[in-house]
Amino acid sequence: MVNVMKGVLVECDPAMKQFLLHLDEKLALGRKFIIQDLDENHLFISTDIVEVLQARVDDLMDRISFPLHEKDA
Amino acid sequence: MGPPKKSKKDRSGSDKFAKKRRAEDDAYTQLVDDNDSMDNASESDGVPGAASKNAETNDENINTDEYGAKDYRAQMQLRPDHGNRPLWVAPNGHVFLESFSPVYKHAHDFLIAISEPVCRPEHIHEYKLTAYSLYAAVSVGLQTHDIVEYLKRLSKTSIPEGILEFIRLCTLSYGKVKLVLKHNKYFIESPHPEVLQKLLKDPVIQKCRLIRSEGEGEGDGFIQGTMDGKAITQFGTKLPPASDKPEDAGASTSSAAGAATAEGAVAIPDDITDFYEKIDKEEEDEDEANLKTVSFEVAQEKIEVIQKRCIEIEHPLLAEYDFRNDTNNPDINIDLKPAAVLRPYQEKSLRKMFGNGRARSGVIVLPCGAGKSLVGVTACCTVRKRALVLCNSGVSVEQWKQQFKMWSTADDSMICRFTSEAKDKPMGCGILVTTYSMITHTQKRSWEAEQTMRWLQEQEWGIMVLDEVHTIPAKMFRRVLTIVQSHCKLGLTATLLREDDKIADLNFLIGPKLYEANWLELQKKGFIARVQCAEVWCPMSPEFYREYLTTKTSKKMLLYVMNPSKFRSCQFLIKYHEQRGDKTIVFSDNVFALKHYAIKMNKPFIYGPTSQNERIQILQNFKFNSKVNTIFVSKVADTSFDLPEANVLIQISSHGGSRRQEAQRLGRILRAKKGAIAEEYNAFFYTLVSQDTMEMSYSRKRQRFLVNQGYSYKVITHLKGMDTEADLMYGTQEEQGQLLQLVLSASDLDCEDEKMPGEPGYRPGGSGTTRRPGALSSMSGGDDAIYYEHRRKNVGSVHPLFKKFRG
Repeated sequence: MVNVMKGVLVECDPAMKQFLLHLDEKLALGRKFIIQDLDENHLFISTDIVEVLQARVDDLMDRISFPLHEKDA
Repeated sequence: MGPPKKSKKDRSGSDKFAKKRRAEDDAYTQLVDDNDSMDNASESDGVPGAASKNAETNDENINTDEYGAKDYRAQMQLRPDHGNRPLWVAPNGHVFLESFSPVYKHAHDFLIAISEPVCRPEHIHEYKLTAYSLYAAVSVGLQTHDIVEYLKRLSKTSIPEGILEFIRLCTLSYGKVKLVLKHNKYFIESPHPEVLQKLLKDPVIQKCRLIRSEGEGEGDGFIQGTMDGKAITQFGTKLPPASDKPEDAGASTSSAAGAATAEGAVAIPDDITDFYEKIDKEEEDEDEANLKTVSFEVAQEKIEVIQKRCIEIEHPLLAEYDFRNDTNNPDINIDLKPAAVLRPYQEKSLRKMFGNGRARSGVIVLPCGAGKSLVGVTACCTVRKRALVLCNSGVSVEQWKQQFKMWSTADDSMICRFTSEAKDKPMGCGILVTTYSMITHTQKRSWEAEQTMRWLQEQEWGIMVLDEVHTIPAKMFRRVLTIVQSHCKLGLTATLLREDDKIADLNFLIGPKLYEANWLELQKKGFIARVQCAEVWCPMSPEFYREYLTTKTSKKMLLYVMNPSKFRSCQFLIKYHEQRGDKTIVFSDNVFALKHYAIKMNKPFIYGPTSQNERIQILQNFKFNSKVNTIFVSKVADTSFDLPEANVLIQISSHGGSRRQEAQRLGRILRAKKGAIAEEYNAFFYTLVSQDTMEMSYSRKRQRFLVNQGYSYKVITHLKGMDTEADLMYGTQEEQGQLLQLVLSASDLDCEDEKMPGEPGYRPGGSGTTRRPGALSSMSGGDDAIYYEHRRKNVGSVHPLFKKFRG
């Protein structure tokens, strides 16, 4: 029997890969989504998770950036 | 002692502001309640009602477009000759100034006097009118109609009615009455008899009045007086060759400036220059004109009551010290040395302080390295009464002593240090230099120290110089005030800025801000070093980032500080600059990291427990030994560590997003470098940041203050040449793994920032395991009361330009 899964190749820096692995392990998005850990900079993940994942990465970027233009609260 | 009287107006403000106000008031009440026992809290126990007014809410009904720009067209009429006039005054109290305008200099001086600088990049400067800034303006002698009139002339548009109203509200009642100490009697003095009449109708004040002779009490009974004219204050020595110099210089520059504008720029409307000259002259005339004043004497023991009452009835008293006529306190014999030449901005700031021949209390803001000490020394030499200098640490006590010896004629016998290490005999000396913590120390002291304290308390000090005044919590400052009796207070700081809102308190605890210098201008003129600020991004190594994602907060900190690629960048930068012959200081708040970095690289380091002797030895070596080019320091060196040689600063860990710390640290390398060319960068400020961690956000936050001063940061994502550099440490996986193990096995204690004496989490013993209950915020320094994280508000209204890079 052959299983066919649609996947997306993700290329990222090593640190970001760790973030994705972390999400995968902790089931942070509800389930496992990494199909294959290819090498330092590449992962193969399932297609249907991409949107959620993008939002999650944006979130991370949000948290570590600080709006400069905002007036002191 | 109750909370300050709140005006009804702040209740009617918008909800948001009212809430903030109330929180402030609460905090304030708390402070006041804590200090019930104080007996000499001069103008400290209240903030006048007008001070809580805020122009910010004036424009709530204004339309804003999708970018948040406000439509003020209805309120402001553009004037036909707007091209020649340099500024806009928005209805919410913000003022925008074109720094390229030919009348920039005039407008700049004027705005500095009446408003707070918000942001001063190269071309357009933003200022803000606040109740405090207007209070400061009045106390240095500007009148309501002058302010309004001049603002009208400078503005491109008509001035919104709300702003005029705001200025009137904030200035009319201020500065009309002064508390003057003359011949050791306290007088309430005013050029306006009607104001005094009003004060005297108040039953509380009536009781405090001191009537010496029978006749005086009848009728008005004011003591008529004139302010006499000899008052132009000389800074500099009384020695003949030097005495005229500062005066002449001042006069010639101002007249030269006047002439230059008159001839050079035809385009300037005459009224601006005319009026400027008029104001300028008035400022000087004020000294010479025999102003008619009236006054009445008040009983010394009632001073505090009066000050409180006057604030309640909205006539805050300005404290002035007529030191020339003070015969009770002996003069001390110090003068500036002829070699001490004041820079123009130093003289200007002192002129504000001694404007009418008396000493005003207040705060002077100069960038680090711009010669604050000289200003302090000059002030002491001008007053020539007993002086008390308070600073942060033992090292800066030594530095102040040296400064006094360098600039003034004071010698060892006149200067007394009072610290835990050095206790000179205080009796008979003129200048006492000590630390805040020494004075406010509550535990048992040695017999010697006890004697000195008693002596200190018995003295009437002529002037009290408060170094790095922004660092002291208001509470501690009140303690100082209860202990020390001084006639005038001069606060010195580089960063009048705190993450909490307590800075406003300083206005009424010490006095208004007298002067604030523009960093970029000083840099252009070569008075401070030209600094290249850079943020170096260091990618997290995968192993470290993995741990970072899974561990708890306090250890996260350690992980991003100990990030091997950060270590390598640091090592690379140190090497690079050592080869150039630069002197480098490396800062780390985290002691664990500090020790590790320093020991690994075999460099000397200084942190809290380092003894005074060792510190001085290391610093001396750093200064004079060409083999010691790099030192590692913890945050003990943030303020008042004078290291004129250092020109490179590397920051590997910091206190969250504290803007003040960033500015203070930059200050360590700001001192102008010898033989430097002003066009080139001659100092470097690196912040090493671990990518993808919270440090990125902190770093951005920290930069805000300096960005507002006009500095720009260069982001370096990759240090050129680092890959080819072979002998950097932690190159292999194996070494990195070991480092990771080391970090993971570190105790929780190691994860914390270093605590200073006086901070909440400080333990004198240093190490040892103590369990203390507390929130996470205290781990990250959140309850420091100086640095807070604020929740971000209104994320919705982000300008589309700054919307994120979403794919």
